[in-house]
Amino acid sequence: MDNEPVDHSMNSRKSWLVVLWLSELLGQAEREAVLGDLTEYGDSGGRAIANVLGLVVRRKTAVLLDLRLWLSVAFVVLPVSFLLSAIAHATAGEGAVYSWMYLNNWDWALTRNAGFWLVLRETAMNFSITCLVLVCWSWSAGFLIGCFPNAVLQAGQNTFILLLAVSFLVNAPARFIHFWMFLHGLPLRPSLPDTHAPITANVFYHVFFPWIVLAILVILPALSGIRQGNRSLLLKRKMRVVLLTAATISVLVMLIHEPGFGFLLGARVGAWLWRNRNAMPVPPWLCCWPMFYFLAIGFGRYRRRKAAMAR
Amino acid sequence: MIGEFEYLILSSAARLGAEAYGASIRIEIEKATGRRCSIGALYTTLDRLEMKGFVTTWMGEPTRERGGRSKRRVQVTATGVKEASNFFRAISRISKGASWTTNRSTTR
Repeated sequence: MDNEPVDHSMNSRKSWLVVLWLSELLGQAEREAVLGDLTEYGDSGGRAIANVLGLVVRRKTAVLLDLRLWLSVAFVVLPVSFLLSAIAHATAGEGAVYSWMYLNNWDWALTRNAGFWLVLRETAMNFSITCLVLVCWSWSAGFLIGCFPNAVLQAGQNTFILLLAVSFLVNAPARFIHFWMFLHGLPLRPSLPDTHAPITANVFYHVFFPWIVLAILVILPALSGIRQGNRSLLLKRKMRVVLLTAATISVLVMLIHEPGFGFLLGARVGAWLWRNRNAMPVPPWLCCWPMFYFLAIGFGRYRRRKAAMAR
Repeated sequence: MIGEFEYLILSSAARLGAEAYGASIRIEIEKATGRRCSIGALYTTLDRLEMKGFVTTWMGEPTRERGGRSKRRVQVTATGVKEASNFFRAISRISKGASWTTNRSTTR
């Protein structure tokens, strides 16, 4: 265990454990200096806890007062989490229908039908592309967040996960579109009978499956993107600009792709995007740039390793 | 102009010289003022002073009495010295003639 101040009573040991736990919320270097100061000064018990807690509160409050955090939340985190939750909802719905169709209603007799295999292949291909594009969008969004200044990165990341989860839980995008249509006096769609009733009645597909999709296709790739984005701060300026531009284009493509959300850019822009949607076939590779990025990284590592072995 | 607590930190760091770091500055301030100095106030003010360019800080070597942990060492910069002396002069000027500087009581 980490060295603690001289007082070895049970209470002191417990307090020191609390101090160690609280100090985890500080940066690495600051944690080291603070714990050292407490040990040298001989602070223990409640006073040590109060000291570390005070510093943690001050640090967290300072982040909340940082204008950069609020600007990043307003212009990147909020729209991106909103859009990703909408796309994840749609993907989860699509995935639930296919899974239910093929897994819950599997019939060996169908395997003798050539048409069955044709449809299955086509469905699997289309759904895989949908999932891949969602993963790449999530990664790109994470990359943008990872490029935030270090002072607001942690808060930006936590806000992103929180907003994503809340937006997904309450299906905020659908509610927002209804509200927008209501505000502009547009006729709301009449409520039709649920054609997927047998699927939504299944607890797994209704409750767990959407969250699994969100975790695997959105949260994990986004966290990886955040890490890579933060690491990109060490790259050369030109390279950073290229990566940042690719991530921004990918996120903007997501905005155009998602029907209805073009209206977030204003009614006129939204209407123009909607009219010209079919005239703008977005090449899938444009969104899938993270794959090329990882391939380039892998190739670079392979060449370095090969060069090292040759020496 | 710097604040009172910033002045206390700058003065203690200048007095301590090469031995200026978190814990030693804290002890100096507590001795001088007779008040408790919290680590939170000390470290956030140190950050502010560093941002303003009045001090530079760096992580020193780990020592045994600190449980093998490093110190955050502090050095006052030339700008810091100038700011602290400006503050001191202002305080000295404004205090001239005040009862506590002339040992005369003005309270009735």
